[in-house]
Amino acid sequence: MTELARMIAGKKVSPVEVVQAHLDRIAAIDGKVKAYITVMGESALAAARAAEAAVQSGATLGPLHGVPVGLKDLYCTKGVKTTGGSKLLGDWIPGEDATVTARLAGAGAICLGKLNMHEFAYGPEGLNPHYGTPWNPWDVTTHRICGGSSSGSGASVAAGICAGALGSDTGGSIRIPSSLCGLSGIKPTYGRVSRAGVLPLAWSMDHVGPMCRSAADCALMLAPLAGYDPRDPTTSVLPVPDYAAALTGQVKGLRIGLLRSFFLESAGAPQRAAVEAAAKLLEGQGASVESVDLKKVDLGPAVSHAVLAPEAYAYHEEWLKTRAPEYGPDVRERLRLGAFVTGAEYLKGQRLRALLRDEVDQVFAKLDVLLAPTTPVEATAVGQSEVRIGDGTFPVRPSLIRYTRPFNLTGHPAASVPCGFTTDGLPIGLQIVGRPFDEATVLRVADAYQRLTDWHTRRAPLGS
Amino acid sequence: MRYSPGMEKLTVDALRTLAKAQGLELTDAELTALLPLVEGGRQSLAAIRDLPVECEPASQFRIL
Repeated sequence: MTELARMIAGKKVSPVEVVQAHLDRIAAIDGKVKAYITVMGESALAAARAAEAAVQSGATLGPLHGVPVGLKDLYCTKGVKTTGGSKLLGDWIPGEDATVTARLAGAGAICLGKLNMHEFAYGPEGLNPHYGTPWNPWDVTTHRICGGSSSGSGASVAAGICAGALGSDTGGSIRIPSSLCGLSGIKPTYGRVSRAGVLPLAWSMDHVGPMCRSAADCALMLAPLAGYDPRDPTTSVLPVPDYAAALTGQVKGLRIGLLRSFFLESAGAPQRAAVEAAAKLLEGQGASVESVDLKKVDLGPAVSHAVLAPEAYAYHEEWLKTRAPEYGPDVRERLRLGAFVTGAEYLKGQRLRALLRDEVDQVFAKLDVLLAPTTPVEATAVGQSEVRIGDGTFPVRPSLIRYTRPFNLTGHPAASVPCGFTTDGLPIGLQIVGRPFDEATVLRVADAYQRLTDWHTRRAPLGS
Repeated sequence: MRYSPGMEKLTVDALRTLAKAQGLELTDAELTALLPLVEGGRQSLAAIRDLPVECEPASQFRIL
């Protein structure tokens, strides 16, 4: 994406050629990949022609000028269907853009279309009974999950049918598909990027962020998204740093915590080995690495249930009473659970959440970033409900969100970057967590790691 | 609706009553499928219900 933006600005490649090549590729492979719910071919080509004219006229160009991107189908797009991955909104056409939709366009990005997802973002596998479940591009023969809920975002970037995508993350929905699809993605700090015009799953846990090939691409895409938005009262007025300038390639003197119990110690052997190797590599560059534990993190699943389930239920309550058969069975059932959480339990969850946040903040008094696996397992087959990790067998769904969900509860920024592959050729993700509003350091570590490794440059069989 | 720690296991009939109180009309099959999930949720919430916590909720109302 960074290179593509540079080539377009330098007149080495035409935005029209770039967009047409992506549309051709979508036509060729998306019948199998199922990354897109809506392809915006005509408007994308019109925008590309305008972008080309701007380049030729010597106009000032935005940082993403002419770069084709995809939007998870929960970002409102004025005049274009926004389904939330559901039949309930199958024909809904918003009257205005989400703030981030407009900000990407303002930076010059060209929207190729709306991306598939787990229905209403309520599932970490990325399944979809209405529009088809996206196919993980790293396995041509077995239909494996992309991870969710931003499964179309993961599939599209990995398959090379957009240069970057927007995901959203309530329990790991940017980081999990980034991990399972071999991508780089970042969930920024809660309040760093506007949620205005984004279909909610749980207002107090939803985060908006980019999914790209590299940390440098994430820095490029995050910059225009970040910052205060009067349409979202939870956004911060803190200034947005220059993320690209933060990518120095240096980690010397940084203090890194390696999350052991709950995280590393319960991961699969390939994930554990890959993350430990990544920590060692960074240590070799002059960072200090020490083991660290979060003692309250065990509360995460219960606290998440207390907070997420009633927030999701509150948004869907009316439809659950009047249009329940239109939901997919798994999401309908999960949403109904929120009806049985009391107000007192919800607030207990919000109070304990403050404790979890405080504990992570205390760890950051002595450390700059934390490392952990993003997921304990690689991409599982579609329909697989259990997975072997070490000597045990565990359900897939809670396993996928185990390491990511804590940082939705605490709001800290967290990225996932590729850090290896299993013997079957499936990607492994390294999670990098930072201080509140310190996305710059998270991206700096991610980028420094990618300057030392080539995992992020490898292409999926369905993406080559 | 608050479950006491010593509350007996939920039955389909009890769940039907709770659902109706929320305005949800569910079939027997739906209630039967939902029951173990609600039970799992109750157990999960029971684990945090009595934990001491002195801080305010993480969510805040801000007028400015």
